[in-house]
Amino acid sequence: MAEMKETQHADRVQLAYAGVLAIASNLGIVFVAAGFLVYVFRLLPLSVPVEQVASLWHLRASELHALIHVPSGWNCLQELGRGDALSYASIIYLSSVTMFCLLSAASAFFRGKDYIYTAISLLQLAVLVFAAAGIVSGGH
Amino acid sequence: MRFSDMKHHIFPAALCGMLLFLLLPSHPALAAGSEAVVQTAWWAWVIGLFVFTFLLGIVAVVAGVGGGVLYVPIVSSFFPFHIDFVRGAGLLVALAGALSAGPPLLRKGLANLKLALSMALIGSISSIAGALAGLAMPEKAVQIALGATILAITVIMYTAKNSAYPEISEPDTLSKALHIHGIYYDEHLKKDVSWQIHRTPVGLLLFILIGFMAGMFGLGAGWANVPVFNLVLGAPLRVSVATSVFVLSINDTAAAWVYLHKGAVLPLIAVPSITGMMLGTRIGAKLLTRVHTSVVRRVVIALLAVAGLRALLKGFGI
Repeated sequence: MAEMKETQHADRVQLAYAGVLAIASNLGIVFVAAGFLVYVFRLLPLSVPVEQVASLWHLRASELHALIHVPSGWNCLQELGRGDALSYASIIYLSSVTMFCLLSAASAFFRGKDYIYTAISLLQLAVLVFAAAGIVSGGH
Repeated sequence: MRFSDMKHHIFPAALCGMLLFLLLPSHPALAAGSEAVVQTAWWAWVIGLFVFTFLLGIVAVVAGVGGGVLYVPIVSSFFPFHIDFVRGAGLLVALAGALSAGPPLLRKGLANLKLALSMALIGSISSIAGALAGLAMPEKAVQIALGATILAITVIMYTAKNSAYPEISEPDTLSKALHIHGIYYDEHLKKDVSWQIHRTPVGLLLFILIGFMAGMFGLGAGWANVPVFNLVLGAPLRVSVATSVFVLSINDTAAAWVYLHKGAVLPLIAVPSITGMMLGTRIGAKLLTRVHTSVVRRVVIALLAVAGLRALLKGFGI
């Protein structure tokens, strides 16, 4: 009874957002864990040996990348056959989950003729796409 | 021993484990860049990080503190990783926690998407700026600023008195225009509670600042989101806590992309942290009703103060 009371105030947009979020985030955790196991158990070849990365992880990110070519930004997608790139790609996926949810929210707001929040959701999505594209951070 | 019996021992063990880490002296093996660090097998650090974040997850949930705010100062002080990678991992830890906590909060109507989206839009832009600024700053300056921020957070946590059901006489014009109001079923009161907010422009300004700091230091920002929603905007505490999760997921996503593109995310550090923290928070949630949360909260605030002080001293080269 209490559970019924609790759910009756969630509107259609919130339920749509929650549905996408539940599926996408659960998949994300599975991808992250599986990708990491492939990486550390060397089930696929690596771009850089784990020992070499570990010997340099005390350096600044820019210094480490000047010395070794570890996956960074979108360039990991070009090397998905490598364990470290696969693990990195799983983190890229996890960082994209909010964008999938915002897209579903924008669509639900639009169907509900709530044009203010359709615009806010799309603007928010544009900000995240801008960050993901690496325009301000010199992405690859 | 059954799990129900074990529950009584898990929390003291977790707290002792964390204290052990914090009470360790500045041993050369823990100083970044030392030979001892290079000689220590990489997997020992990775397993150590997983165990530590697992314990941190238990303690953070029981204390009602976001894991992200504890993660960055403690891991940057006690593990050999550069603070660039710790901040990148910290954002992902906070993001993963927010993503997994989100669905039930939305389904129960506790989190309000309109309130979250209105505040996150401006906060996410400033979190990108904060991340860029943080990664451009010299390491010592980051440590000093982080230490000072953590000490300020400690004071906020110690002194802030949240209000469960703030009284709002009249919502402001902007919140009315944006239709920010809601109703939820309160388990404690056993009845529906309707709410509205005021001082929306002030809240927006504060979220610019919060987003910037979250991006700069890689901290989850629940410590700041909740007081602003609750004490400034006047949202009920449960709505504030739940909605904070969504603001955090959006702001941290924006900042995390900057860290990803700047090469400040290493799966070797980020993944054990994410999985350890998520497992720990699930165990912590089961222990919530079995420990004295107010005592634990005081202990965690003290831990946070120690971590902040260490970051500050590290920044000054002491």
